[in-house]
Amino acid sequence: MSEANSDKPTSMVTILLVDDDQSEHLLFERKLAGFSNPAIALGCVEDIDTAVRFLENEPVDMIFLDNRLTPRMDFRETAPKLRDAGFTGPIGLISSDITGDYFQSFPDFGVDFRIGKDEIDAQAITFIMSEFLGKRFENSCDDDPN
Amino acid sequence: MLLTCTGNVVGWWWRILLTEIVSEVERNSTLHVGDELHRALNRMDFFRLFKSLATASKFSEFGLVELSSEAESFRYESEMHLHSWASMQLGELDKRFDRTKDVPISQLLTSAVPSVITAVGDELPSPLMLFGEGETMVAIPLTTPMRRRYGLLLIGRSGGISTEELAQVSYEAAIIFQRYYEVILSIDFQTNLSEREIQLVLLTSEGNTSAEIAKKLKLSEHTVNSYTATILRKLKVVNRAHMVAVSIRAGLIN
Repeated sequence: MSEANSDKPTSMVTILLVDDDQSEHLLFERKLAGFSNPAIALGCVEDIDTAVRFLENEPVDMIFLDNRLTPRMDFRETAPKLRDAGFTGPIGLISSDITGDYFQSFPDFGVDFRIGKDEIDAQAITFIMSEFLGKRFENSCDDDPN
Repeated sequence: MLLTCTGNVVGWWWRILLTEIVSEVERNSTLHVGDELHRALNRMDFFRLFKSLATASKFSEFGLVELSSEAESFRYESEMHLHSWASMQLGELDKRFDRTKDVPISQLLTSAVPSVITAVGDELPSPLMLFGEGETMVAIPLTTPMRRRYGLLLIGRSGGISTEELAQVSYEAAIIFQRYYEVILSIDFQTNLSEREIQLVLLTSEGNTSAEIAKKLKLSEHTVNSYTATILRKLKVVNRAHMVAVSIRAGLIN
């Protein structure tokens, strides 16, 4: 490897965010901004059909799926569509309020984990990367101490 | 008039936003003591609960550690179950620091009561304190019904902690840990396989890989591997071939 390449990330993680609220795309991008090794490539789409098309064209390591997508779809309809498209990576269900019995069936619909949008920070992302993508993709956020 | 109306609308909008922010903060800070405790299904859910406990008690970092070994053989990276750090950070601590001088770990190994550890001057009682900004940390001993010993480390609180607060935090930590034992740790003592687990054994016995099983069951490979790990623990077998052989002998699959 040449010296010019030595500072390049050793691996790359591609995350797809499916959320019909564009402001969430920006917020999520900011939360991932501190991660550099591995580098995180973020794809953002607003609906499940576009997400399925995205999967056909790009390799994706993990999906963060907003619970409610227009028109009136929830994870019970959207997550199976991602699995039907052949995606076998982790799917995380996100919502502004992830509490309540309503979400208890998430494993039955091919979802791997759930987390409230306000709970997502550098610590949570680090844990998620380690837990669901393995240590090869685990990162310490640049703004973490040490 | 228009400006006034707009001003009022903006004022109301801010009030609504602030109310939502406050309610979100309140919800997060009590996540670990509400109904979500009983809804926790996987390690991610427990990460959220322990993080909620840490945040509510003004600590910036946490780590649930297993105390199965003596201080000399303790490894931060391998014996931290759930934590707010990257494993590579813990691996670095293993390389750089003498674990026998870690005060909270020594406290957990030798004491059955929660302890407060405060950094004074440049000397850190634990290298884990490098990760938190505050000078106070707490070590809470936890035990399973099978007498396996664990400890919860809460790190990075500015200022001290009162006896009442320590009692409250320790009580809440014990409740979360009890649930963690019931949902996650006690699997080692279970032998019955769920319908989904039997389905997975059957597909494995037919020669399917994890990726193929994931596609057939419409799950992630992570979930398939997680199910497999659970089955291996329940059946006390060492690999997939052993799992299939034991399942056939036990009549779980034909």
